Amino acid sequence: MTIARHSGNQETVGERNHASIVVPLDRGGTPARLVSLFGSLDHAGEVVVRYVFDAGEAEYHIVQRPFDGSLASIAASVPAAAWYERELHDQYGVELAGQPDRRPLLFHENWPDGIHPLRKTPGEIPWTEREYPFLQVQGEGVCEVAVGPVHAGIIEPGHFRFSVMGDVVLHLELRHFYTHKGTEKRFEGLPAGAGTMLAESVSGDNCFAHAVAYCQAVESACGVQVPPRASALRLVGLELERLIAHIGDVGFLANDVGFVLAHTLASSIKESLLQASASCLGTRYWRGVACPGGVRADFDSGKIRDLANAVTEAARKFAELAHIILETPSVQNRFESAGVLKREVARDLGVVGPVARASGMDLDVRRDHPYGHYRGLQLEVPVTRYGDVMARARVRVGEAAVSAGLIQEILAAMPAGAILEPAVFSGHVHGFSAVESPRGELFYWVEIEDGHVRRCHIKSPSFQNWPAMPFAVRDNVIADFPLINKSFNLSYSGCDR
Amino acid sequence: MILDILERSLRERLPLIPVEALWGDCRGSRMPNVQPARLTPEIARRVTEICPTRAFTTQEKGAVLELKLSYGACVGCGRCIEAGQGAVIAAQSFPWTGVSKEGLVRRWDVGKRAEIVAALPEPSLARQQIYSLVGRALNIRQLDPGSCNGCEAEITALTNPFYDLERFGMHFVASPKHADMLLITGPVTRNMREAVKKTYEAMPAPKIVIAVGACGCSGGLFEGSYAVAGPADAVIPVDAYIPGCPPTPAMLVSGILRALQTGAGKLPDVERAGAD
Repeated sequence: MTIARHSGNQETVGERNHASIVVPLDRGGTPARLVSLFGSLDHAGEVVVRYVFDAGEAEYHIVQRPFDGSLASIAASVPAAAWYERELHDQYGVELAGQPDRRPLLFHENWPDGIHPLRKTPGEIPWTEREYPFLQVQGEGVCEVAVGPVHAGIIEPGHFRFSVMGDVVLHLELRHFYTHKGTEKRFEGLPAGAGTMLAESVSGDNCFAHAVAYCQAVESACGVQVPPRASALRLVGLELERLIAHIGDVGFLANDVGFVLAHTLASSIKESLLQASASCLGTRYWRGVACPGGVRADFDSGKIRDLANAVTEAARKFAELAHIILETPSVQNRFESAGVLKREVARDLGVVGPVARASGMDLDVRRDHPYGHYRGLQLEVPVTRYGDVMARARVRVGEAAVSAGLIQEILAAMPAGAILEPAVFSGHVHGFSAVESPRGELFYWVEIEDGHVRRCHIKSPSFQNWPAMPFAVRDNVIADFPLINKSFNLSYSGCDR
Repeated sequence: MILDILERSLRERLPLIPVEALWGDCRGSRMPNVQPARLTPEIARRVTEICPTRAFTTQEKGAVLELKLSYGACVGCGRCIEAGQGAVIAAQSFPWTGVSKEGLVRRWDVGKRAEIVAALPEPSLARQQIYSLVGRALNIRQLDPGSCNGCEAEITALTNPFYDLERFGMHFVASPKHADMLLITGPVTRNMREAVKKTYEAMPAPKIVIAVGACGCSGGLFEGSYAVAGPADAVIPVDAYIPGCPPTPAMLVSGILRALQTGAGKLPDVERAGAD
């Protein structure tokens, strides 16, 4: 491995004798945070690989490289790239030189070799039976505990393989992608407007963030300006989604330490906001509201008042409830120092969202790469540095208060005017967008040809954060795993797509 | 601190929604309904063209133009309502939940501007009947073989104090071995196909299976994907269907109760077998 520093703010990472890709440096002189890594096909059918970095500037830094057989893996020096490189291989059959982990990611042991759906549409796929080579911890007294894919509750499927010594977890390996639905392939050929629906079905509890991220990517490709009233409505929806998510998460954390009544109260507050959305817009989760060019539903002033009142009431109740939860000694006893994610690990794995902010990484797309109605807003971003379950709970409580305040601020000064600027699709264009979803940075890259989607890549914050979760579980007792996992609250479907 | 919570929850107004108000309620579901008096052949063709999941289809049977709506395929995108010029509106009540696959399908004779009436699900049930359906405990196992988590969010809401499924004696269990009913959401992915079969096999008979959501009923937006084995009934037998993307908690409660009502015939058989 050579790491050669170039003049200016770029360094080259890659193996000798292989075409190198350029990893920019951030202000601290370390490799910039990897945002995403994905492939697409050019018109000649050749794979083009794109690397998206955040070097601490307002614009994302995108590096594009044709795959010519000599492109090298960057995972050894940018560990955040490891899953992306495995996914790239599964989707396109592209082998990057020096790739440290070559195991399939999306496709389980029932898939034969040689299926690369984004390179060539598969026909009938035969069923095979193989073993997945888990990393094995050896030694006297070490035993393995296998959990999932079907879990004990209303939870999405995934597999966790623990290596434990007594109660203590030595190692945890994830085996996900049980809910892999071929979503990125499903976008191919869809009319650009209809893609919004599919984006809403990537991660059902963050569906509005996905819809807005998709629409913004389409808008950036087509050069559409969203009217101010539509941007403001999108902001209200995004912040409401965050508020609802955080209220639910803090309630579930209380539930996981046996504080059931607190969870029940939190679920009531959450439900009141879902019902407020339903009576204002006819949808509990803001499905079908966003569309390229704006939004499809408007509020009259009466509905704005109703929603503002519901948010005020919910935020007040939640602040009181959160205070009680977090000040209860038995809760503190379980939350504090459980599941610590160290800042260095979070940095190496490019962790985003509340999980990153609880480990001292001060990043938020809304402030760092403002979009839509967030441009020009002053945004408070709560950050703590302890990285434990308590830190993640406190970040969520803090963010919920900020979101409620933002909703009030925007509803009190809604711009008038149109809610839709119809997008005109012509030619072959591409664009991208990033949105701070309740789970963190959500990134969409869209390529449109003659009004139809040619390629849509989705980087969900869960895909980025899952690999970090096992590091927080290490050295904890296995009985704390559900609590630690809940404090990350990652989406399986968003990750698996 | 525990006492603070107790005090607070005693002070709260009880938000429980009476079962009569849940029955047929579909607010927030975005499900469409057809106003046959306003149907024209042109509108029927337009909503068929615009529907992204082919929930609306038209068929010419001799001189009759038939408009068909399969709720199982509908993701509630609302495009038909925008294009329907008042002939397609947002549904105000929704009894097509917890019904058979055929029960999800409605047909209209466009020329006559009238619904070709199939047996409509019974409009309502008395409270006493509802409690007699679930007089004993009903154990439900929820299974997600590929859902986007939208249906799970709404199924989780069933346990909040507004819907409180436990009032009917129903609760969610951790193991299929303890379950009477399987609520299966999402398309069944290829990676989950075997787990679905094993979960179903692990349930003791009699088993009631309800497919939930557009994906559970029809595969939804994912039907035909290389990574998807199909809707729930492509992998295991399904007794009833609850459509919606996602179905609201009220639609879920109504659907579970209706499925029990129509599937209740199964239970006495086993009781007899047990008595022997």
